[in-house]
Amino acid sequence: MSEGNEKKSSAIWGRFRISLDVWAVASALAAALLVRAGVLKHIPW
Amino acid sequence: MADSIALPRLRPISPQLHLFKLLPGIALLAAIGYAGKLLEQNISRYAKAHHTVIPNIEYVLWAIVIGLAISNTVKIPDAFLPGIATYEFWLKAGIVLLGARFVLGDVVKLGSISLVLVALELALAIALMTWLGRLFKLRPKLSSLLAIGSSICGVSAIIAAKGAIDADDEDSSFAIAAILALGAIALFTFPLIGHWLGMSDHAYGMWAGLAVDNTAEATAAGALYSDAAGKIAVLAKTTRNAMIGFVVLGYALHWASAGQAKTISNKASFLWQKFPKFVLGFLLISLLATAHLFDKEQLTSLANLSRWAFLLTFAGVGLRTNFREMTKQGIRPFIVGALGEVAIASLTLVLVLGANRVFHL
Repeated sequence: MSEGNEKKSSAIWGRFRISLDVWAVASALAAALLVRAGVLKHIPW
Repeated sequence: MADSIALPRLRPISPQLHLFKLLPGIALLAAIGYAGKLLEQNISRYAKAHHTVIPNIEYVLWAIVIGLAISNTVKIPDAFLPGIATYEFWLKAGIVLLGARFVLGDVVKLGSISLVLVALELALAIALMTWLGRLFKLRPKLSSLLAIGSSICGVSAIIAAKGAIDADDEDSSFAIAAILALGAIALFTFPLIGHWLGMSDHAYGMWAGLAVDNTAEATAAGALYSDAAGKIAVLAKTTRNAMIGFVVLGYALHWASAGQAKTISNKASFLWQKFPKFVLGFLLISLLATAHLFDKEQLTSLANLSRWAFLLTFAGVGLRTNFREMTKQGIRPFIVGALGEVAIASLTLVLVLGANRVFHL
């Protein structure tokens, strides 16, 4: 990959970079949505 | 909150991050956490079957102790480190999911009480640590980092402040080591003191959330006491975490005015950047639960998901605590931290006992 392409690629990915906090919130909300939709049921402890 | 001097800090995750690199460490966290859970269950079953009385040791403590035993006796292979560092992710996801166990009204009521206590704790902790730092002739920025770490959110706050006040790596390492070592001590001493004083679950949880610095340790110290205490500890600690931006901004402005840090042009953007977003996730889930979006069985499932996430976190707390690494950081910051923490723990205990009498926590 040329240097120019590398820069372009990292700039594109840079847009999608998300902090750990946001990942944790998004994952927890996605899990809650799956529970609400009935995809995840009876999670034991 | 959570970081390690022995483990690499988890960088912002990007889609190109190879997931498989995380798997060995996550599997190790799960194995240790599950081993702790099995130990608790089997010891309890054994005691019942043999009609003997064995003190119930919660899975939380087993997971931490197994992690501590591994990290302090063998060198953890590098392949496991990225996955172990995800314990901070599990902690935050667990806190967001825990929101389902709170009715928003309780969050507002307990959150308001803890907000007042947090404000008092912040003022006391910052004043005390600054004074102790001067007394022990610590470098001023190291004193600032210790004050920020002990007043708000442990390691996360120190990392957030490091860039904002242009502190050097050595000072940050000192402050992080002191906060982590003291968090580890609090894990074992707080539940004993709580039981000795006969504290209620709510009062103890509030105290753990106010006085234990790292979110992971505060959550564990609460859960070691009881499930209800763990819930309240997370709520109080989350309120404290929400203050991180304001305190770091205050210090950044102080050091900028002294010409020893960059000036901050956009204060609102700075506050948003430093604000822990998982606090919003916690409130959102609590709001959805209060609006009866989930039925009873779904709420139980969400609570259990939160427990599984915390299980991995507690294993990570043990694994990232390396006493040998901590002792390398020197004794003076540790003494200042220890003196400050003992004083803060005592003062917050008085505050919580006082609030308990007035508000019947």
